[in-house]
Amino acid sequence: MADDSFLHLARPLAPVSVGTAPTTAPLNVVIQPQAVFSILDHSLRRNADQERVIGTLLGTRSEDGGEVEVRSAFAVGHSEAEDQVEVDMEYHKQMLALHLKANPREVLVGWYATASELNTFSALIQNFYSGQGDGTWPHPAVHLTVSTEPGKDLETRAYISAPVGVTAERAADSAAFIPVPYELRYGEADKSGLEAIANAKESEERTTSLATDVEALERAIEEVISMIDRVSRYVESVIDEEAPASTAMGQFLLNALALAPKVEPADIERDFNNHIQDVLVVSYLANTIRTQMELSNRLATAQLTLGGGESANAGGEGQRNNNNNNQRGGKGGRNNNNNQRQDRAPTEEARA
Amino acid sequence: MAEVQSPLVAVKVEALVVMKIIKHCNQTFPTTATGSLVGMDIDNTLELTNSFPFPVVEMPTESHFDNAAPNPAAAAPRAKGNVAYQAEMIRMIREVNVDANNVGWYTSANMGNFVNMNVIENQFYYQKELNERTVALVHDVSRSAQGALSLRAFRLSAKFIEAFKENKFNSEELQKSNLRYQDIFDELPVEIHNSHLITSFIHQLQTPSNTGPTELPASLAALEASPFSQSSTLTPNLDNLSLSIDPFLEKNCDLLLDSIETHNTEVNNYQYYQRVLGREQQKINNWKQKRAQENATRATLKQPLLPEDEWQRLFKLPAEPSRLESMLNTRQVEQFSRQVDSFVSSTTGKMFAVKGNLLPGETAK
Repeated sequence: MADDSFLHLARPLAPVSVGTAPTTAPLNVVIQPQAVFSILDHSLRRNADQERVIGTLLGTRSEDGGEVEVRSAFAVGHSEAEDQVEVDMEYHKQMLALHLKANPREVLVGWYATASELNTFSALIQNFYSGQGDGTWPHPAVHLTVSTEPGKDLETRAYISAPVGVTAERAADSAAFIPVPYELRYGEADKSGLEAIANAKESEERTTSLATDVEALERAIEEVISMIDRVSRYVESVIDEEAPASTAMGQFLLNALALAPKVEPADIERDFNNHIQDVLVVSYLANTIRTQMELSNRLATAQLTLGGGESANAGGEGQRNNNNNNQRGGKGGRNNNNNQRQDRAPTEEARA
Repeated sequence: MAEVQSPLVAVKVEALVVMKIIKHCNQTFPTTATGSLVGMDIDNTLELTNSFPFPVVEMPTESHFDNAAPNPAAAAPRAKGNVAYQAEMIRMIREVNVDANNVGWYTSANMGNFVNMNVIENQFYYQKELNERTVALVHDVSRSAQGALSLRAFRLSAKFIEAFKENKFNSEELQKSNLRYQDIFDELPVEIHNSHLITSFIHQLQTPSNTGPTELPASLAALEASPFSQSSTLTPNLDNLSLSIDPFLEKNCDLLLDSIETHNTEVNNYQYYQRVLGREQQKINNWKQKRAQENATRATLKQPLLPEDEWQRLFKLPAEPSRLESMLNTRQVEQFSRQVDSFVSSTTGKMFAVKGNLLPGETAK
């Protein structure tokens, strides 16, 4: 998104109040999608007259403080007027306490705003978040801006700040924002979720239903086929001398093709048969167990039509034993499930 | 439950909620994670727009992976401390314009092993105490790791609630109510919904920023270092194509065996009950016969008769064990077998594809 590049320099600390200044060592910011989604959601829920909304960022910090991972965010109410800004500090504190209760491993790392603009108010808020006591001091507070202007691209930027200003009063409402590099990172586990979310991106209603295993497989295979098509189109056009050839590309494709394993047909045959049998046996077993359990439960509580004047329980058991015997005879003791059953059967019969 | 409303028909989950649940469940995996859902009920579709995790009570932070300890997180949704936490949290998020209606709770699962008393009791608590129109959202961490996201919404059926309230789970009551294990849960279809901003964000994530034709790489190293070979895009998620089947099968077999064991215990309990019942009845009959004989002799001797219903005081019939546990177990096994079926259908497809690919001659026949 922010594809402009910049050189990251640590500026010398301001001479004032050296002891309290947060460090401005180079910092790498990692943002998890959850945080971005929270910010975007908050941006949608802002009051009609608000230009931007702000909130608190939480996450983890690596031991040397060189990397900050933003994991979640929560909204904080605030209002901006011509010459003053009000942030609901009480709310921020309470919410932070609540959040830390559920996520003891996350700490306060900074704050976000949903506009790219940096102004005096930003500096004021930044100084609050990076300050001593409630703030992130001695670590720098990360300021994340996500622009959510309609009709434009979302633009994310990350900053840390250094204190500036000659007097204490000036220093309170000014800060030098230093852009820091950031990356959006998501784990293996988030992948399936993001994929499901991404499936909805083309649809008009912005909704999608969850795919079953087979559907997901189908989609993945279609994806691979279309990728292969693209590559073979490219290769064909190179052969026809319509597209410029590239040695690197050729090498890359050759490497990829070389990954296909060379196996003896007999080995494949054997492995295939072994595995397919495993799979099918487990499926068969699972369903057999299900049927057996259902049957057993059903018979234990079934309404009795046979057995004449006998008491309900005794009749029920008798019927159930008969059925179990039939069942077992039909299936012929083939698997461990039936063995389990047989363990039990003698006791039943003994009692009957 | 008081007013008659048309039932909920679907659940619409905001992308934010999906991501938050995934994050929370994965952090605590393999321990169960639970949290609360907020949202709104619009035209019988429950829209889940935000969520927050429940704090893990009485558990030091380091012992997150301690499986042996009884799991306090699983019971968290109905723990007293969390009721206050939830109320507080909802009050807080109302101030920033989030839908402040509690509409349910979520829990993580491992291979679909979520059908247990905890889930039932939590959901019963929610539907009974808080709000009838609430759902339990189950996120299956292990299954999601294999490709397709597994997120399901459940409610307890009205029939089951009725029975659970009065704990009517002996065979007589079950015969009367005709309650079966299929009737425990109502599953609601889950849809994922994105806001406009998230849609646009996802679009941006996936398309490289410069749209012009890219330069051909100069060397292999340059190609591998270029952003294109780093898999930064969301789709395709090729985890689906992975051929590792053994861990899944193994885990499933383990779970099935556990279920069989539970089933066996339950059946044994029941049999024990019946043996005791039979013995007691035998004793009562003997006693009655004796009393009848005694009375007969007393009648001939013209003595006053002894009362015939004293046996109710002397003998106590054992209480019938509840069949709830075996019902749940059956429901759980059904869940497993469905899951295996679904797995098998995709795996056999993959396996035949691989075979056909490696042995081209076979498919031609």
